[in-house]
Amino acid sequence: MTTAAEPLPRNRGSVATRTWAFVRHHTLTFFGILALAYLMLPIVVVIVFSFNDPAGRYNYTWEGFTLDHWTTPFGPPFLGDAVMTSIQVALVATIVATILGTLVAMALVRYHFRGRGATNFLIFVPLTAPEIVLGASLLTLFLNLGTALGFWTIVLAHIMFCISFVVVTVRARLVGFDRHVEEAAADLGANEWVTFLRITLPLIAPGILAGALLAFSLSIDDFVITSFNSGTTTTFPLYVWSAAQRGVPAEVNVIGTMIFGVAIVLMLANVLWQYRREPKGAE
Amino acid sequence: MSFLHRHGWLTPYLLLAPGIAFLVLFFVVPLYYLGYTSLQEGTVQVGYTFTWAWDNYSEAFSTYQEQFIRSLQYAGIATVLALLISYPLTYWIAFRGGRWKNLLLLFIIAPFFVTYLIRTLAWQNILADDGFLVGVMQALGLVSDDGRLLATSTAVIAGITYNFLPFMALPLYVALEQIDPRLIEAAKDLYSSSTKAFLRVTLPLSAPGLIAGTLLTFIPAAGDFINAELLGTPNQAMIGNVIQSKFLEITDYGQAAALSVILMAVILLMIAIYTRILGTERMTG
Amino acid sequence: MNHPFERIHGPMTRKQLLRRAAVGGATLSLPGILAACGGDGGIEGQQAATGAGDTTVAQELADEITVSNWPFYIDQNDDATSFPTLDQFTEETGVKVNYLEDINSNEEFFGEIQAPLSRGQGIDRDIIVPTAWLAARLLNLGYLQKLDKSAIPNIDNLEDTLASPAWDPNRDYSLPWQSYITGVGYDPKKVGGEITSVEQLLDPALKGKITMLDSMEDTIGLFLLEMGVDPSGEIDPTAYDEAVAKVQKAVDDGQIRSFTGNDYTGPLAKGDVWASLAWSGDILILQPDNPNLQFTVPDAGGMTSVDTMVIPTGGDVYTASTFMNFFYDPEIAAQVTAYVQYITPVKGTKEAIEATNPELVEDPLVFPTPEALENLYEFNAEAIENPEFQEQWQAVIGV
Repeated sequence: MTTAAEPLPRNRGSVATRTWAFVRHHTLTFFGILALAYLMLPIVVVIVFSFNDPAGRYNYTWEGFTLDHWTTPFGPPFLGDAVMTSIQVALVATIVATILGTLVAMALVRYHFRGRGATNFLIFVPLTAPEIVLGASLLTLFLNLGTALGFWTIVLAHIMFCISFVVVTVRARLVGFDRHVEEAAADLGANEWVTFLRITLPLIAPGILAGALLAFSLSIDDFVITSFNSGTTTTFPLYVWSAAQRGVPAEVNVIGTMIFGVAIVLMLANVLWQYRREPKGAE
Repeated sequence: MSFLHRHGWLTPYLLLAPGIAFLVLFFVVPLYYLGYTSLQEGTVQVGYTFTWAWDNYSEAFSTYQEQFIRSLQYAGIATVLALLISYPLTYWIAFRGGRWKNLLLLFIIAPFFVTYLIRTLAWQNILADDGFLVGVMQALGLVSDDGRLLATSTAVIAGITYNFLPFMALPLYVALEQIDPRLIEAAKDLYSSSTKAFLRVTLPLSAPGLIAGTLLTFIPAAGDFINAELLGTPNQAMIGNVIQSKFLEITDYGQAAALSVILMAVILLMIAIYTRILGTERMTG
Repeated sequence: MNHPFERIHGPMTRKQLLRRAAVGGATLSLPGILAACGGDGGIEGQQAATGAGDTTVAQELADEITVSNWPFYIDQNDDATSFPTLDQFTEETGVKVNYLEDINSNEEFFGEIQAPLSRGQGIDRDIIVPTAWLAARLLNLGYLQKLDKSAIPNIDNLEDTLASPAWDPNRDYSLPWQSYITGVGYDPKKVGGEITSVEQLLDPALKGKITMLDSMEDTIGLFLLEMGVDPSGEIDPTAYDEAVAKVQKAVDDGQIRSFTGNDYTGPLAKGDVWASLAWSGDILILQPDNPNLQFTVPDAGGMTSVDTMVIPTGGDVYTASTFMNFFYDPEIAAQVTAYVQYITPVKGTKEAIEATNPELVEDPLVFPTPEALENLYEFNAEAIENPEFQEQWQAVIGV
């Protein structure tokens, strides 16, 4: 549905107007491309410098091309451990947050109940609150209770902020879900459990997966909240922060690129899967 | 089983229970503890005691006014900039994207997948004093010959804008994408001008996305400290920097907590006003 | 958007199904985790724990040892992936070394470790290397364990001048790692000449191109020296105010780009910063990144202190002591010094290093002469812990 001049009898078809429309049409495109380039610029820099062969500790100027960092991405000590810790935290947090969040989303979409407004508010606030407040308040909780800061406090923190994101994502998917399919299955004799497993779950699965993917990437990426609640445990973002003070090794760029690549691939896969399941193009 | 037959009203609550319990335990309760800590006094050496230390708040207000105001300013400017960049961009994708919509959308989301710190460090590299970008801007006269981009408010605001752009763009896109293009066609018929059609039809219809995006951008940006730390000087310190330092380096927990409470209170106030106007369903739906 | 719930009647209702799901979910919430970890009492009621640790520990080496140190403080290859002396240690003792360069500034590091230490918990470290004043604070708070001197025969190699500091007269709890000098690191080409005084850093021509250290004892110390005040003695508050005011003005004018811990090295190497208050050995390590860099001690005097190895609560005393002993062997110390080019506390290093790096023997930054030492001052320990001074300083650095 473009808005180029149509051969309909309208009273605005002067050459000037149409030329102006043409220019404006392309201005928008030009701007759009420029904006996307702006968004991608740092990413390109990160990827390019992962192939750099820096002279010393600092990876700021281009010295030469090398694949060394890609062949030994875990060269720098503790980078591997930090990445492993990040992945472990993210896995646990994602699984728990996805389950809890999906349940909440289902309740919100399918039921009327008192306290709905309050629930919505409770889900909404962590989404917008500044991370520093979330992290700091959790820290005061752990400090006052005398809990040791470490892997599990990080996991708890991550689950907390991921739940809201999962709820919002799954809910968007649930809302568009046509209940009649479930009814039809029931009419055909399927019991509740079968209906849920064979009909409901597969249909909302992309939404749940999208929520899980979102939670996973948020968890891998999180710095602020983690820095408040990690004690001496190191995750990948914490490693980067600490490394920034003495020279970020190019291997960090490599890992960053890898995470980026995996996330993009997963997202594309999810989108493609959705298209296959709903060829009418529900997206 | 028959329990739920008779007490079906329980089901939603059972579904909600684990998730909500978790949020209450790890979101609401910590806020209580934040308030509790903000009224404590002490240092690591002597220990912390709860003494209704309201002077934590008065000191916080008086000493760090500058940083508070600066945070709101930077966040505000960054939000406006993000809006100015995102609106045309998302409009372009939503209405001219055609088959490529999802791919183009991917470009907006993509930066999100590179660790926040790494992207900001990349900006440190790009904006380097004797780097390519500064050189070009000096040639164009946009930057004086002994000027710089890094370690300035410009760099910090630019960093914040960049990092929070997806939060503005995505809600905007969702709202714009839902607008039926035929409405715009009809408007053009009626008003015989694309601009008017835009102002009278598209803009108002995209309002929910606009408002959601503004909220989702401004609020986290106000609490950010990473951009100020990596791209600015002490003159650009935001309230987030103060809070981070007081908690993690100076360990003055009382005042740090007081500052966090003030920040959170201001933000809750803003959210409350917004949700009053719009209703929470629109926000999270 | 809201769909009213529709009931399906059948052998099992939907509610039963959803109830099952809910029950499954309920078991996942784990409030019990809170109770499971950590000690009691939280941050309230924290008192300084009385002195920890005695030496009746088993004399057995652990499988691995974890060390937290400052960056650029041990010999390593170009991209910090291998450490020759650590590898040697592992060969000789069979103990694997986890070497972390995670100390960027004393205040930051203290903030990280104080919470668990204050509850008597360990921090997963066997050795940490804070600067002397922080080591003193940790000792006073009771967070340190006594060394196992029976495992450290090489302690006799400790330089006499460092053998008996006021806060640990018998070196029961600590051993120096390296001493350092704080002065000015700069690029003479960019600055356009030599720097002989910190006042030159306040030259408007260098606006936004300088950094200063966020440690009070380094920055204020140097400015006090410039003013002719000796910072190792008692510090007159008016003098302190004056020094602080100078730095504050520089901040307000936009003269100072930032206050840094060890992280001044990046911008200096990159060229964004032309001059920094810096630590002696760092500049030499930055040569591959920026060959123009030079280090100088201001004419008015430089600051010095000792970064000190200590064993925090929870560390393995015997293994840590063995590690310390290893590095007090003059041959090993020579290897470290050859790379880091800081001031070694180990007697006999000078002789050992003549074989491998004879040019360093004459380097006053690495083996300072007695006259050079006269021009180096250590900041008064009490002044560092003075709360008013601390508050004033924090206000200047922007927190």
